[in-house]
Amino acid sequence: MLILRVLQSGSLHGYALAQRIHILSSEVLAVEEGLLYPTLQKMLVKGWVTAEWGISETNRKVRFYRLTPEGRKHLKAELSDYDRVTQAIQDILRTA
Amino acid sequence: MGEIFRRIRYLINRRRFDAELESDMEFHREMAARAGRSNFGNTLRMREQAREAWGWTWLDRLAQDLSYAARTLAHSPGFTVTAVLVLAIGIGVNVAAFSLFNMVALEPLPVRDPDSLVRLQRRSPEIISGQMPYATAMFYRDHAKTLSGVLTMMGARLSIEDDLEPVKTNFVSANFFRELGATAAYGRLLVAERDEAANAPPVVVLGHEFWQRRFGADPDIVGKVIHLNRRPVTVVGVEPFGFPSLDGQGAEVWLPMTQQPYFFEGSKVLTDVSNGSVRVWGRLARGATASQAEQELLGLTNELRKQYPKDIWKDEYIRSDPGGHLHVMEPEMYKVTEMVGVLTLLILAVTCANLGGLQLARGVAREREMGIRLGLGASAARIFRQLLTESMVLALIGSAAGLLLAWGTLKIVLTKTASPVWLSATPDWRVLAFVVAMALMATLLFGFAPALQIARQRQRKTLARQLLVGAQIAASCVLLIVASLLVRAAQHALYTNPGFGYERVVSIDPGLGQHGYTPAAAGEYLGQMQSRLEALPGVTVVSLVKLAPLGHSIAREDTEINGRKASIYPNWVDERYFQAMEIPVLMGRSFLPKEKNAVVVSEALARRQWPGENPLGKKYGENTVVGVAGNAHVNAMNDGDSLEAYYSAQPADMPDMVVLVKSTGAPDGLTPIAKSIVESLNPKLFPEISLLRSGFRKDMEQVELVASTVTLIGLVAVALAGVGILGLVSFSVSQRLKEIAIRMALGATKVQVLAAVLRQFAWPVALGMAAGAGIAAAASGVLRIALYGVSNLDPASYAAAILVLMAIVGLAALLPARRALRMDLAKTLHYD
Repeated sequence: MLILRVLQSGSLHGYALAQRIHILSSEVLAVEEGLLYPTLQKMLVKGWVTAEWGISETNRKVRFYRLTPEGRKHLKAELSDYDRVTQAIQDILRTA
Repeated sequence: MGEIFRRIRYLINRRRFDAELESDMEFHREMAARAGRSNFGNTLRMREQAREAWGWTWLDRLAQDLSYAARTLAHSPGFTVTAVLVLAIGIGVNVAAFSLFNMVALEPLPVRDPDSLVRLQRRSPEIISGQMPYATAMFYRDHAKTLSGVLTMMGARLSIEDDLEPVKTNFVSANFFRELGATAAYGRLLVAERDEAANAPPVVVLGHEFWQRRFGADPDIVGKVIHLNRRPVTVVGVEPFGFPSLDGQGAEVWLPMTQQPYFFEGSKVLTDVSNGSVRVWGRLARGATASQAEQELLGLTNELRKQYPKDIWKDEYIRSDPGGHLHVMEPEMYKVTEMVGVLTLLILAVTCANLGGLQLARGVAREREMGIRLGLGASAARIFRQLLTESMVLALIGSAAGLLLAWGTLKIVLTKTASPVWLSATPDWRVLAFVVAMALMATLLFGFAPALQIARQRQRKTLARQLLVGAQIAASCVLLIVASLLVRAAQHALYTNPGFGYERVVSIDPGLGQHGYTPAAAGEYLGQMQSRLEALPGVTVVSLVKLAPLGHSIAREDTEINGRKASIYPNWVDERYFQAMEIPVLMGRSFLPKEKNAVVVSEALARRQWPGENPLGKKYGENTVVGVAGNAHVNAMNDGDSLEAYYSAQPADMPDMVVLVKSTGAPDGLTPIAKSIVESLNPKLFPEISLLRSGFRKDMEQVELVASTVTLIGLVAVALAGVGILGLVSFSVSQRLKEIAIRMALGATKVQVLAAVLRQFAWPVALGMAAGAGIAAAASGVLRIALYGVSNLDPASYAAAILVLMAIVGLAALLPARRALRMDLAKTLHYD
């Protein structure tokens, strides 16, 4: 879900994606490469992202991952689910 | 939906996708290294996981297994070749049997719309008849709305020109060829518009093979006039090559049914309602089902009964069976096919048990390999899958070989039995599906258990091996017993006295009934014929019988006597019959000429009906018993329990009688003389003359064929079992070589060593034989039809089969064991 959200603002290559998540979470979350790439593959299978070739900052050809319309739909669904669950947990924590 | 497309795209472009992933990860690693972190993690593992996401790992694993299986099989050619051969035989036999069944019952005839054809027969709870009167068939045709057409056929023999031999003729309804969608090779075939009218000019269609044989394939024969039964008739066409007729294969000429009286003067076949004469097929109207047709026909039959109350049976109904196949399969016939199916499956069982044992043995040899693989991290499930794949590869190769074998055998059988041209041995989709099913079943049977055992590394247990041996022995035992029973029956039929003399008897059927002779005229004619024949030199006895021995028709009554089922074969004979057929009259006497209400019963019938009493003078139905004759299964040679009842022929029976002539010398010369006598008495008659001897020989050939085929199969099964046991014992010996060497070094005698090695096989063999004999005894009741005069529990056959089995098993076990005894002790003990 986090990967999809990060990609929403623009396409990135793998390394940048990992960095972004790491930085945006104030270094709390670090995405292991061992998790990142298999997950990206699964998303490619499901059609939530596509990969395009582009040039990186270091002038090297690399693939950039972009969110697809299905991906956006799935992201919206996941975000609303997450909100619901979080709200539910918060309700319990506050009032129980 | 899109996901599947993406996955398939991946499959096709796998290399490119993988390369792209790798470049991504390379880049990532570079960047990470630049930032100072260098623990990228296990690249290989990541790539593997990434690949798994696409969901094609099972395909990869399958490919791996297949190539590994191929390599392993190639490395042990001895095992592979043996296994493939064994499988080929086991599966081949099954495929051959199924192909035959397919040809006969499943594959539709190559005629127009075979699925809507039905065979119609008269039935009632007490009577079965394959034919119905032509007039009633036409009644149904005219009134049945569920049938869009009715086809009729009647077989006959007519003389052609001045030939001695008659031609096989089919009288058919004029719509016959059109309904089946046939087109003439030359000229035209019969059509309803031209050939059905009562005053239509007489026409004939020639059979293709007959046209080639007798008319030299001359295309100008169309339009010429030939003479059948001395009547001129115009040839209008030639049937197409390989015409698939619904029945009556091998007909030489085809004539329209409506013209039958033209050739048989005085014949009442077209109008008579009391005698069945034609075989009938119907074509279901569009949208009608067979049961709807049967319903409608039942209603029509009841209507018909109002018009002809005496000729329609009580509770008569018309029964329909699918007519579009080579053989009309009635439910009773399925029993025979089931039996054959079971026998062939037994062979498969033996084959698979055989292979299973071999697999287990190999498993022990591959212990190290398995150990290494398990150590490297393979799961037991993975190894199991791989071993199963190996078995499947073997099964597929074996099935292909089996299919080839079956195809070859079938081709040979078809050529040798001169079967119709359009029957082909090439497998159709049903046969191919069957082969695949067999392969899968075989894999499961022989691959599953060993794979399970090996994967779990528990193959020390010899129980599995013993069970397999037991199963093989049991199956082979059943097969051998069945074969032995059939061989005995064949012997019995061929060499024992059938109870009557057939060598020197000629039967002459003048067909008086077909020509409309009244009983008085027939009696007169037969009397004249008898005196003429008796005057010939060498003729000893001339007699009359209604159902000619070893002839076309039989009659049978199935009733119960004192609670037990009995099949009685009645016949109507004159007083000289027993003398002519050399059937001894054991008690009482034969008939007086034209004696009324007299019956002579066979010995077996007398014993059943009146056990322990004197049957003479007793009442049998409306008749009194005047004599007891020896058992003579004249009309049912294959039924050892048949009972005969001979009724004294009455004047009313005369038109249907057949003349039997017994001579002192060879009967061959009688045929032309008899023909001339018949014709001189009435030139319009065309008698059917045959030697009883030839009919007997034909029956015997069939018996021999069946017996030899089953014996062959039985021997094959036993050979397979023998090979299996040989393999297992030698393997077991090779395993325990050291142990045996030590025992011998310590002073064990040869016998003791042999006992030690073979003991594990003793009880499976014994149990297997007992089980096999038991199953054979229980199931052999089905074989009664084929067992001529031999009980299905005949002890001699069982004993013979068991002895043969024991001999082969003993040999198979002792051979490898003996090699063990002759080994070089010192070398073995030092070998490691």
